[in-house]
Amino acid sequence: MNCEDTQVGTEISRRGFLKSAAFTGAASMISSPSMAQNPGASNPEQSNPAVPNLPGEYGTPVPQFQSLRRPMGKTGVQVSILGMGGYHLGTAAGQAEVNNMIAKALDHGINFFDNAWEYYKGMSEERLGTALKGKRDQAIVMTKVCTHGRKKDVAMRMLEESLVRLQTDHLDVWQVHEVVYYNDPEKCYAPDGVLEALSAAKQEGKARFVGFTGHKNPSIHLAMLNGGYAFDTVQMPLNPLDYSYRSFQQQVLPVAAARGLAVFGMKSMGGSGEMIVNGVLTPAEALCYAMSLPGVSTTISGIDSMEVLDQNLRILQSFKPLSAQQIEELRAHGKQFQDGRYELFKSTVKYDGDLGRQQHEFPSPAELPA
Amino acid sequence: MQQSKTIPLRNFGGTDVKVSALALGGHHLGAAKDETTAVEIVHRAVDGGITFFDCCWEYHRGKSEDWLGKGLKGMRDRVFLMSKVCTHGRDASLAMQMLEQSLRRLQTDHLDLWQIHGVSFQNDPALFIRANGAAEALSKAKEQGKVRFVGFSGHKDPDIHLAMLNTGFHFDAVQMPLNPFDFNFFSFEHKVLPVLVERGIAPLGMKPIGGHGEPVQHGVFTAEELLKYAMCLPVATTISGVSELSILEQNLRIAQDFIPLSVPQMDALRERAKPYAGDGHFELYKTSIKFDNPEARIAHDFPLDLQSVEVKQMIYATQNTGRPYPQVPE
Repeated sequence: MNCEDTQVGTEISRRGFLKSAAFTGAASMISSPSMAQNPGASNPEQSNPAVPNLPGEYGTPVPQFQSLRRPMGKTGVQVSILGMGGYHLGTAAGQAEVNNMIAKALDHGINFFDNAWEYYKGMSEERLGTALKGKRDQAIVMTKVCTHGRKKDVAMRMLEESLVRLQTDHLDVWQVHEVVYYNDPEKCYAPDGVLEALSAAKQEGKARFVGFTGHKNPSIHLAMLNGGYAFDTVQMPLNPLDYSYRSFQQQVLPVAAARGLAVFGMKSMGGSGEMIVNGVLTPAEALCYAMSLPGVSTTISGIDSMEVLDQNLRILQSFKPLSAQQIEELRAHGKQFQDGRYELFKSTVKYDGDLGRQQHEFPSPAELPA
Repeated sequence: MQQSKTIPLRNFGGTDVKVSALALGGHHLGAAKDETTAVEIVHRAVDGGITFFDCCWEYHRGKSEDWLGKGLKGMRDRVFLMSKVCTHGRDASLAMQMLEQSLRRLQTDHLDLWQIHGVSFQNDPALFIRANGAAEALSKAKEQGKVRFVGFSGHKDPDIHLAMLNTGFHFDAVQMPLNPFDFNFFSFEHKVLPVLVERGIAPLGMKPIGGHGEPVQHGVFTAEELLKYAMCLPVATTISGVSELSILEQNLRIAQDFIPLSVPQMDALRERAKPYAGDGHFELYKTSIKFDNPEARIAHDFPLDLQSVEVKQMIYATQNTGRPYPQVPE
């Protein structure tokens, strides 16, 4: 199972030109007629091989082990290479399931827990806070502030609410959530804006490190990074398809890494598992790729059940960083999807939160044609 | 009777060729209610001072070129005529076939400008410049005297335009969306326009009012404000399409009475667009793949979304032919 060199290598070469996954996967997609002159296309005659699971990926027990850790940028903190996403805590079966998942994650050395003020109207934060009761000091707790362009005072009120829900007196990381609109950097940097709240929270000892996150476009991230604020962390989508389409790993990751920022990867499987469901990547390929990128501290992956946690733990247990060649092969494979169809968070409004759109006075997705 | 007035003329890039600062777009021409109306629009445009006529091999499956050719009959030498080739990554030989068909439909022996249509995908620059790619057709057509100038057009991503400009191929013109929203979102005005000006390549603006006039319908701008904004940029011309004579008259009046906006006026328009531009909802051609030309997606081997309006239109237009593409002559 795993990311051991030979197995992932075999996996990728077996797949060959997987023109196809896209055509067979999505019900609303049809394949194109074969055209006589089609230099950009892979061989249309080639059948689509099934993408098998790596052996042991599902269903086998998880042995005891401790996750690898890495320096979290220049913070001096050591973080597990896999982090637990907070959004999906809200969809888990209930508090008991969340308690068990988080206890098991901690047992295996996973110490990074993501969240956001607006996830499930606070329920994700509450569930995490309850599950970490008595274990707070083993965890790196991150949450995000959801001002979406509003001012410092709104941010500080959100911080207090987050702390109450998370049952703690301080956050390890506090990030500006969903920096995805072209006017967001300007709004963040405005006098009395959210960045002043980040600084105030740090001074008051309520947040140790601060940063921002977004999924839309590298140029927005660069505008944030180049605005002069001393961020400690930055979060971005990182997966093999990103390399060929509006690429964070080509445009933002090197800048962040050069400055020693802690980089958190997300959307390793496309945001909602689109790359897995459509047969583009296996879960092991997706996570191993994201966790192998130089400069990345941790990869945040949403986990909403014990089954998914176990799957990720098995991948983590056997993880060895992919070789440069394996990384190249996955990028080459991902290039055929360079129209962005599996990274719709970069193009459509599909992944933009309602609250953020309302605060920016943008029409709701239902009012837009796409 | 309309009094004949003129529209300001501008240099076409670094050349001495003059073109009118407003151009007639070919796509909307094919949506006129009938051929007679389309021919009237062309006649009135020439009479009103427009010298630059845009078209494209695939607009309305050839109807736009047909109608424009009929409208320009007897006036070919008075205008600067552009069409575009729709290989979408395919070979030079296909491009040359399309050129011959464009010339026949347009009833002429040469084009003033021939552009690559719909440069929209990350791999388009590589497909263009490869051996036997469309770049070879552009050069050959120029050598044969069938086209005077060559260029490319696209509305998706300034970085793709820059990659085209970095292929090393010599372009005479480049077409792109230019409007106050663009200034604030994935901006061609910021990233591409200065490069063209520096290299003496003729910049051609399009989508001055957002493609289908959405910002005007929503009351954010008037058509006059938007058309003036685009015409004030350092471009050779601004391409705007009409399907009705009444709209043409409005556009002619704006262009004939054109006085450039001041810098503060331009900035005020940019500032007004900013709150709407952040998510690009008036420029969906830059973001959503639902606005991709389905025939271009097929040529690239990208899957189609059967729910998209463009795909439904394509299927309707081709239902009796079994061919997704407009017919290419043997």
